[in-house]
Amino acid sequence: MPSIPSKQARARRMDRFMAFAISGGGLTIIGAVLAMLLFIMKESVPLFIPPHSKFLATVQAPRAGGAWVDESGKAVVLMSHAEGLKALRFPEGTALPVPSAAEGPALPWRAFTPLNGRGESLVTGADGRLFLTRLNWSKPAGENDPAQWTLEPRWQGGLAMDQIPSELLHFRVMEAGGLGGGATLRIVARAGAGLVWSEAPLDAPAPMAWKPLALDPALHATTAAWSADGRNLFLGTREGRLLLFDPEAGQVSSQAEFGEPVESLGFALGQSSLLVGGANGKLAAYQRVRVNEVFALQAFHAFPRLGGPVLGFQPSQRDKRFLAWTPAEAVVDHLTTERRMMSVRLDGRGSAALAPRGDLIVHANESTGALKVWSLDAPHPEVSFGLLWGKTHYEGYEKPEYVWQSTGGTDDFEPKFSLVPLVFGTLKGTLYAMLFAFPLAVLGALYTSQFATPRLKNTIKPAVEIMAALPSVVLGFLAGLVMAPLLEKMAVEVFIFPFVALLLALLAAPLWGRLPLPFRNAFGTGREVLWMVPLLLLGVWLTSLAGPWVERVAMGGSYRTWLQTAMGVTYDQRNSLVVGFAMGFAVIPIIFTISEDALSSVPKSLTSASLACGASPWQTAWRIVLPTASPGIFSATMVGLGRAIGETMIVLMATGNTPILDWSPFNGMRTLSANIAVEVPEAPLHGTLYRVLFLAAFLLFVLTFILNTVAELVRQRLRRRYESI
Amino acid sequence: MSRLADRIRQGGIFVWFSGALLAFCLAMIVSLVGFIVAKGMGYFWPSPLVQVQTADGPLLGEVTAHEPARGEETEKIQFRVGNRDIYGQDFRWVPAAGLGPQERPKDAVLVERLEYGPFIGRIASLSHEGQEVATGPAALEEALKRLPEASRLRRHIQSIEKGQVGDLNRRIEQLRLSRKRLEAKADAAGLAALDAKAADLQAAYDQLQGSLEQIRTEAKAWTLNLQTADGQAKECPLGAVVRMVPANAMGPLDKLGVYLSRLWEFAADDPRESNTEGGIFPAIFGTVMMVLVMSVLVVPLGVVTALYLREYAKQGWLVRAVRVAVNNLAGVPSIVFGVFGLGFFVYGLGGSIDRLFFADSLPTPTFGTGGILWASLTLALLTVPVVVVATEEALGAVPRSQREASLAMGATKWQTLWNVVLPSATPGILTGLILAIARGAGEVAPLMLTGVVKLAPAMPLDGTFPFFHLDRKFMHLGFHIYDVGFQSPNSEAAKPMVFMASFLLLLVVVVLNLFALNLRRKLRERLGGSTF
Repeated sequence: MPSIPSKQARARRMDRFMAFAISGGGLTIIGAVLAMLLFIMKESVPLFIPPHSKFLATVQAPRAGGAWVDESGKAVVLMSHAEGLKALRFPEGTALPVPSAAEGPALPWRAFTPLNGRGESLVTGADGRLFLTRLNWSKPAGENDPAQWTLEPRWQGGLAMDQIPSELLHFRVMEAGGLGGGATLRIVARAGAGLVWSEAPLDAPAPMAWKPLALDPALHATTAAWSADGRNLFLGTREGRLLLFDPEAGQVSSQAEFGEPVESLGFALGQSSLLVGGANGKLAAYQRVRVNEVFALQAFHAFPRLGGPVLGFQPSQRDKRFLAWTPAEAVVDHLTTERRMMSVRLDGRGSAALAPRGDLIVHANESTGALKVWSLDAPHPEVSFGLLWGKTHYEGYEKPEYVWQSTGGTDDFEPKFSLVPLVFGTLKGTLYAMLFAFPLAVLGALYTSQFATPRLKNTIKPAVEIMAALPSVVLGFLAGLVMAPLLEKMAVEVFIFPFVALLLALLAAPLWGRLPLPFRNAFGTGREVLWMVPLLLLGVWLTSLAGPWVERVAMGGSYRTWLQTAMGVTYDQRNSLVVGFAMGFAVIPIIFTISEDALSSVPKSLTSASLACGASPWQTAWRIVLPTASPGIFSATMVGLGRAIGETMIVLMATGNTPILDWSPFNGMRTLSANIAVEVPEAPLHGTLYRVLFLAAFLLFVLTFILNTVAELVRQRLRRRYESI
Repeated sequence: MSRLADRIRQGGIFVWFSGALLAFCLAMIVSLVGFIVAKGMGYFWPSPLVQVQTADGPLLGEVTAHEPARGEETEKIQFRVGNRDIYGQDFRWVPAAGLGPQERPKDAVLVERLEYGPFIGRIASLSHEGQEVATGPAALEEALKRLPEASRLRRHIQSIEKGQVGDLNRRIEQLRLSRKRLEAKADAAGLAALDAKAADLQAAYDQLQGSLEQIRTEAKAWTLNLQTADGQAKECPLGAVVRMVPANAMGPLDKLGVYLSRLWEFAADDPRESNTEGGIFPAIFGTVMMVLVMSVLVVPLGVVTALYLREYAKQGWLVRAVRVAVNNLAGVPSIVFGVFGLGFFVYGLGGSIDRLFFADSLPTPTFGTGGILWASLTLALLTVPVVVVATEEALGAVPRSQREASLAMGATKWQTLWNVVLPSATPGILTGLILAIARGAGEVAPLMLTGVVKLAPAMPLDGTFPFFHLDRKFMHLGFHIYDVGFQSPNSEAAKPMVFMASFLLLLVVVVLNLFALNLRRKLRERLGGSTF
């Protein structure tokens, strides 16, 4: 009979195959599930990859005094006195055609400002007329080859001047406000030994008149830059002072000490942070900010020193990084994190430029004409370990603070990624939830395991298990839309209810003691909880009577004004108390179930011994059962903590989600988890915010994993201990 | 004194105290569930329309809240006055003092409309193509008679818009995609054929629009002329009326009828007015669908893992550690799973699928955006520990004797597992699955990142090929609660809807849990009896 062996062989083959499939499948699934951790970590790791720069090429170019790199990094425009504009293709160095500027300034140029990041420059031509130019590459749609582009320099102005300044320092175009009128130009320049300034409409034929700066003769201004609104001048002096000067009134409105002769000034993206470079290489950022109700010029960032006089600055057009250079080195620093992202050696004076995206650095040597190019790869410069966990001084802030504000209304917004307020919010929410849940759950479990009758126990346990299954979105909805308004109305009642209830319990216990013993034994022991329900209802009723009275007598009619005046706290409708209640509600069943298990499985021999020695049931429960089961209760608390830390929907719905640092129970918070839920759908893929949120998720994962593992290990040890008793 | 100290030491009072805390917990559970049930179930019962005289004229509406005097604030009553298009808001707080008697006029009607929420007032007349047909009470009667026909027309229009017009739109979109492909290949003949097809489709589309227009005019023929309590007139086509409820003139049986019809609408209809009215059928359907897909995914994952851990892996510290790790995954916050789902499934896997198979429609993502498949997969990962734990327990509870008997008969390990162990463990696995479903149905946070939307244009299951659309976004009961309660511009008016949705979700989760607990208890009793 050949069929039986073949059947057996098939069965054996099947067996081997299934063993292989299940082992393989099982291992794969376990691996995949654990790989979650790795994946989440992997997504956040690039945040901490240090910036990477690379020398690309040296191109021989005409000697130039200014450079502008195109957005794509494929073309650069150079400026020189003798030849005007020159365009080069990158990185090959071949020349690109430049339209001859008939309407522009005549060659050779007498002076010009270095091209800024937007391709703007001010030029004085050979005939002494002043022009403003805005460079623009006109690119046919989707065209990537610079040879197909055309450079469009747009010349404006052609203003005659009453004297020709030797150096143009800084200018600002003020777009026309209100009705009519074109843009006006404000310029500051060097003429002779001092500085002069002027204001002229761009399209006016009248000659420009230069006005000297009416400055204290003891101070010698070396360089100047217009403030963002174009009204005031920032002046750097040889004496090491930094002044904010109103040229029209001739007044210094605020000043600050810099410490060494100021060599150059510049702005970071957004034009509100002033970058200051010294003659001996000092590098710092200043801002005009309100300190103690007065506007002052405040040094708010300092960067590592450079080796020589700082010749200039150029900001990136995307983030807060900026380029600064001396004759010997060029560096790219990040304003917010004060991090040096790149530092390269140079050989001689010249002008440097940073591409708008901040990913390409060009240096044109003014004596040799060598054009050196570096690339800079730094995807997430705005995040550093110090920024995530420490106080950072942001633009517009009086002092360093912990702030989470990931997005703003404008392109030049400075993102603020401090995780501290979020971790704080998480801990705060968890703390209030645990304060509420822990005593209720543990004592409830103690009662259920030690005193309740078996029948009662069989009703309580499933009820609590059902409580564990309540969807958190329902709890959150009730907390946010029902409980929060209710609590706002009855905050006083909620606070006095525990005291009323305690008072009632104290009154009830002696009364109970006076009832006949048979009655007590028949209806009381093990069923106290049932008797407490009407008592609690009575407590609720009494509280509702007492609440308005307390509010009137003790708090002068309104608890909110009382809180405000007596305690100095404001009351938000969706606050930590609401979260504490709702999240406590979610945590109670978890702590209850695990504690109850631990308490119930304390060996009978121990309790019997205690009772036999004459201890009362409570004494046995408190002194014997509770200490024995305490590891179990600890483990229950850990699991409960893990749940509270990661709870999302309740916090999302029951708080205002404001990332603040305040322990007050009357205002809200923003937790790590709610923050992820709010921000991740809007976060651009692989952007900094996206990765920071993955980092937050990673933190949550690790935190809860550790808590749960500790709980599990403790529970296993406890189980072994019970077995050994 | 010493007796008191003695009593405190004995601790009877602490027993009472701990009992009180437990009582408090239980009272919270009961009141919470009771509150939701009462609020949710009570909403659909027609409440009387009350008319009062205020300083600014008469006011007609349902009394929705009452706030007693407190401190400096006087007693207030909240009315739901409806007529959002006229008053701008649905609710109004009125000081209770000087309201005059509360009347319940018999002719007051609550008209539920497709737009602007309910109208509360009186029906002045009913007209057909501008001609008045009936006035006063007769108008209401006539309108009630005409309403079913008008509703039928409306549903007809809706079904055409959704079915045929939607179908045409899809075909036009497909045409656009194939045009893109052909243009890339520069296939002139193909393009010409496409143009002909497009012309056909356009003709069909125009014809359909024509007939739709005809039905629309027909539907607009009957008009209700309404009048508010303070005398403002309002016209409303009968086709835009969902229901007319003259609550004060109704007996309990009529009210029950309205109640049931509202309940049915809630369960079976699409939402209206940015989810604050109408039904939540798509949300129920989406939840069920998502849970089903999740179950299909989670059972094999969980069972295979449990089989490996319990039957095939060499027991040792490594397996113990893996077991602890898998258990602990149940405690990892759901939002973390959501983040993983978004990063790995949606952007990672979905993005790759799009680049490989749906490159034509890029940059519009097909799988590279949230969808029911990704949401279900994420939830399957989230609930896998539940199934693993339950299955392991069930496998462990199968008596050794049974396995040994099977092995002794010469069966292979797999044959034993398949024919002896797994059948005995099935109820245990089922328990795990039910618990997983209960957990999955209640989760919202991970779904928010992986594919749930406030209003899905199409269901994940419909009559167009391939019928089951795993890439579609879907609606979900839990998210519906969050969205309507917290993101809706008119959340006060939508509150009852949220209560109802909460009640439904609660019902599903609690029933599933009770079922699972019961099953588990029975199983334990049975197996407890049969071990020897």
